[in-house]
Amino acid sequence: MSVRKDSSRRNFMGLAGKAGLSTFMAQAVGVNLGLVDVVAAQGGKRAVTPFRFAMISDPHLYSGNDHVFDRQLEDAVKQVNDMKTQPDFVLITGDVSHHGELDQIAKGKRILSKLKAPIRSIPGEHDWYLDMGAGWRAAFGNETWSFDHKGVHFIGMNSILVPDFWTEAKLTPAQRRDWFMPLNSPVPGLWGVHDKQLEWLAKDVANLSADVPVVVFTHSPLWDYYPRWNFQVSDSKQVRDILGKFVNVMGFHGHVHHTVYNKVGNLTSIGTMSTSWPWPYPPIDLPYPEFQQNRADPSNTSDGMGSAGMAFDRDGGVFVQYQPFADSLPAGIKNGFKA
Amino acid sequence: MTTRIKLFRWLAVPFAALSVLALATNVTAREPFTAAELQAKDDKLYASIKRGYDMWYGARADMANNGLACANCHPDAAATNPQTFPKFLPMFNKVVTYRDMVNWCIENPQGGKALDVRSDDMTALEAYSYYLHRGVKIDTGQVMRQTAGPTPNNARGFRAQGTGIGFDK
Repeated sequence: MSVRKDSSRRNFMGLAGKAGLSTFMAQAVGVNLGLVDVVAAQGGKRAVTPFRFAMISDPHLYSGNDHVFDRQLEDAVKQVNDMKTQPDFVLITGDVSHHGELDQIAKGKRILSKLKAPIRSIPGEHDWYLDMGAGWRAAFGNETWSFDHKGVHFIGMNSILVPDFWTEAKLTPAQRRDWFMPLNSPVPGLWGVHDKQLEWLAKDVANLSADVPVVVFTHSPLWDYYPRWNFQVSDSKQVRDILGKFVNVMGFHGHVHHTVYNKVGNLTSIGTMSTSWPWPYPPIDLPYPEFQQNRADPSNTSDGMGSAGMAFDRDGGVFVQYQPFADSLPAGIKNGFKA
Repeated sequence: MTTRIKLFRWLAVPFAALSVLALATNVTAREPFTAAELQAKDDKLYASIKRGYDMWYGARADMANNGLACANCHPDAAATNPQTFPKFLPMFNKVVTYRDMVNWCIENPQGGKALDVRSDDMTALEAYSYYLHRGVKIDTGQVMRQTAGPTPNNARGFRAQGTGIGFDK
């Protein structure tokens, strides 16, 4: 396993545990990163027990041994395992494999099994369209799920569903999969969560109180970031409408392979770096350009990638700390930020 | 025989050969162009762009030994910034052309075999990348932002026909 020379400097819990700038900033925004005990509800607010979770996204593992992306995923696993206070769980936000091959999925599961914390996963398009998710499901379970954890409701959904374009065209499974390889593929069209998951989502949150913090994980962002590259979910408005009653909704996603931030209604959306390669920002104006990571140096194979750690505070706020392999972040988000 | 006459005689053969070649391809290199001539030029250009597009997305296997293609990091040729070359790049420690950078990417992140810089395939990669950046101001030098990308409309139009599948019918 290769070791990043500055990984400890960027380690989330390392930052949190030191009386340094990051801790100062965290306290300045009202977050106590060291607090792990149960906190009672205060002032009518929903009780949240402070805790942490981590994110690893888009490993894009290829077949064969000793691929550079294998080592980069291993580095992300090490980053998370090196957190001084372990996250309660790690979210894998899709594209574990590049071609959806079983050996790639198995390799991803094997590397991710080295995490000390349990994982929850959602699929990406690269995992899905060779066998319509069969291999991914066998390795990682159901793609649609929810659970409650320390006062927060967590939701995972499959956001990369498209209408059937392969049956009429008589495509083989590999041909179907290959039309998802280019980010700007003209064939599959815009993907989304579709009606069945929308119905599930409506039932899932029907009995939840509006003051429950909700976190939703999708592979792609729940807003129209850049549809040409499927940086979107076609029915994201329906998702946001269903979640519209909640005071605090956080959406975390992968797919974009870079840091990005937005607020749409009550949804705060946060995109994470991949562990494989950084994608450039699309030719649009970002809603929050201060969250744009630095231009990656192509001669540094570590640059522009990494993992992320999130800390929930007692009021349901989240402190986000990206954990880049190299020095990829601008000053404004280098030491974390309150989402 | 004067030097001038010797020079004319020396140039006569290649000029004659070029004239024959021009007649053979039925495309001249000066105005006024006929519609057929313009179409012929565009056909040649778009064929090269399409070849470049296919290579960009992995059509030539020897450009990588790890499965990666140009498009892994540069969808729509974003963040390639051909309009900024020639420029100094630290990995070369000198001023280089866009072709040099393309070969650097092929040899390093992709672990593949560099292209002959005078080959039609290298021209095709350039044709695709420059086509997407048409209209972008030439701005030689370092790029500070993550991307000075092409517009979406620049990424369409060079395919002679759609795939006929799905949303590309």
